Amino acid sequence: MTAPIYQVEGLVIDLYTPTVSVRAVDGAGFHVAPGETLAIVGESGSGKTVMTLGPLGLLPEGVAVDLRGTARADGKDILAMSPAELSRLRGGFFGVIFQDPMSALNPMLKIGPQLAEQARRFAGLSAAEACKEAVSLLARSGIPDPEDRYDRYPHELSGGMLQRAMIALALAARPRVLIADEPTTALDATVQAQILALIRQIQKEDGIAVILITHDIGAVSVLADRVAVLYAGQVAEEGSAIDVLTAPVHPYTRGLLASVPDFRSENATGTKEIPGIPPNQAQLEPGCRFADRCELVQPQCRTHRPPLVKVGNGTVPHRVACPVVIAAEGIVIHV
Amino acid sequence: MQRMFMRRVGLALLLMLAATALTFWLVTAAPGNVAALIAERAAGAGADGEMIAKIADDLGLNDPLPLRYARWLGDALTGDFGISLRTGKPMAEEFGERIPMTLALLTGGGVLALVLSLAMGIAGAASNGGGIDRVLHGMALVGASTPNFFVAAMLVIVFSVWLGWVPTFGVSGLTSWLLPWITIALFPASVLARVVRVNLQDTMSRPFATTGFAKGLTRGAVLLREALPNIAIPYMTTFGAQFTLMIIGAIVVERVFGLNGVGAFFIEAIRFRDFIGMQATLTLFVVFFVSINLIVDLLAMLADPRLRRPRKA
Repeated sequence: MTAPIYQVEGLVIDLYTPTVSVRAVDGAGFHVAPGETLAIVGESGSGKTVMTLGPLGLLPEGVAVDLRGTARADGKDILAMSPAELSRLRGGFFGVIFQDPMSALNPMLKIGPQLAEQARRFAGLSAAEACKEAVSLLARSGIPDPEDRYDRYPHELSGGMLQRAMIALALAARPRVLIADEPTTALDATVQAQILALIRQIQKEDGIAVILITHDIGAVSVLADRVAVLYAGQVAEEGSAIDVLTAPVHPYTRGLLASVPDFRSENATGTKEIPGIPPNQAQLEPGCRFADRCELVQPQCRTHRPPLVKVGNGTVPHRVACPVVIAAEGIVIHV
Repeated sequence: MQRMFMRRVGLALLLMLAATALTFWLVTAAPGNVAALIAERAAGAGADGEMIAKIADDLGLNDPLPLRYARWLGDALTGDFGISLRTGKPMAEEFGERIPMTLALLTGGGVLALVLSLAMGIAGAASNGGGIDRVLHGMALVGASTPNFFVAAMLVIVFSVWLGWVPTFGVSGLTSWLLPWITIALFPASVLARVVRVNLQDTMSRPFATTGFAKGLTRGAVLLREALPNIAIPYMTTFGAQFTLMIIGAIVVERVFGLNGVGAFFIEAIRFRDFIGMQATLTLFVVFFVSINLIVDLLAMLADPRLRRPRKA
């Protein structure tokens, strides 16, 4: 396994408004290596986006953030960086695709020149080269007639085309880590598949690391090499996509997968919802975050935070934070 | 776009017509009798009822109001706004002398308000809740709530009387314009600074601002290059409204600083019951209000690519 290019450990992120404080991420971590796709899954509010974009300083303005832990990009501690250093890293090292391209692209700026500027600043191209590069990036992202689209404003493109433009923009600086934050949520079903295929193709060609933030298990199975399941700001389970999707251990992962409708099965209504709602992260209790919704809950679950332990013996470590299932099913723990 | 343009122009013309009719009615309804005034001026104490009645008849003052308005409008459209009862000069001549003065006051004040408001608003947003932001907020609050005659008096006391840097009165070179410009610009600059600050803050929390950060721009660059173009439309419309309101400030400022502009003329016209002068000046104000707002609206439309280049269906 190649060494991780972006690695986050023991991350704690508190978000403050004048009246409440929310622990959005509570001692979570993840890592991703070049050429690898990590999917971070979890329901809305589980902290997926905050955990991934928080260390980069990419949370919306107006919310006060307190951030602890370590985050290393290419070995460099990004939490210790000056604002100017972090800006350069955001532009050049990371490329980010946001959820809704209609609102994530500036309505007053033309598409092409933004790409060209990124290519000029971060890939070191001349103005003329950067312009050519921008057109070829648009073409590569599957945008027809890229010369014409270069001079277009966002409102002149459809949602699917805009997301392709957003991908082109993220790639213009030739990043080494591509972060896709729910890249298909705002798009039509047919367009979703195209966008996922595009991301997969780019990753194959460029060998970059991809972090896919999603709650779409279908997208995970298409793209991901590894999966981290996040629940209420903590990692419940992580491992290879095959292990996590076909042999889930944590009750939450099992519940999450059982709640996905399988249209190929005879019994398409055979989905099972997880009872209850996620905990209020402004008033967290000790112990397992999932305890209140878990069918297997034991007294110890409410008092002790379950550690992530390695189960199975595959090349990609499979880690689970549920001693109850591990004990009940006799799963072997590896150190 | 073209249809919208024509509609706005048509609406503006209609508005001017309605506003001049309204002012015409108000001016004629104001207390005072023009015929008596003219008779008194001509014959002093010797003016009698017969003379007054004859003058009124000659001037058509006994005709129904709509007819009088139509007559006035016909003349006005040919550039004839009548002869000032106070100065005895044709209004066109009065305006010819005074409009440049008022225009200089408004232009200087407008430019100052523009520069000050953008500088204060951007500096406030850059400081984002810091000390500079709070000081600027306080300054804008004071600026927007201090009456201009008080500001003028304070400026004269400090800069003319105590420090002796600039003349107190009249027009003598560029320095004499400084205090009038500052006085007239203070209120619009304060209001507009808040518009810039608040809209920038709102824009900075929009998803495309986050994209700007993700592109590797520093906060200052996101503020100036991503957020600022997006506040152009609210800023321009508010600027247009504030700029036209400056004509009201001009009435006071011209008087305080002894500038022979249209505003000063208007006050004198009211004092002397110069109905012709009042109506002519009010018409000028109406044309100024409506055309500035029209120009600003059209510029704002041009500034927005969504309106400038609507998506082809």
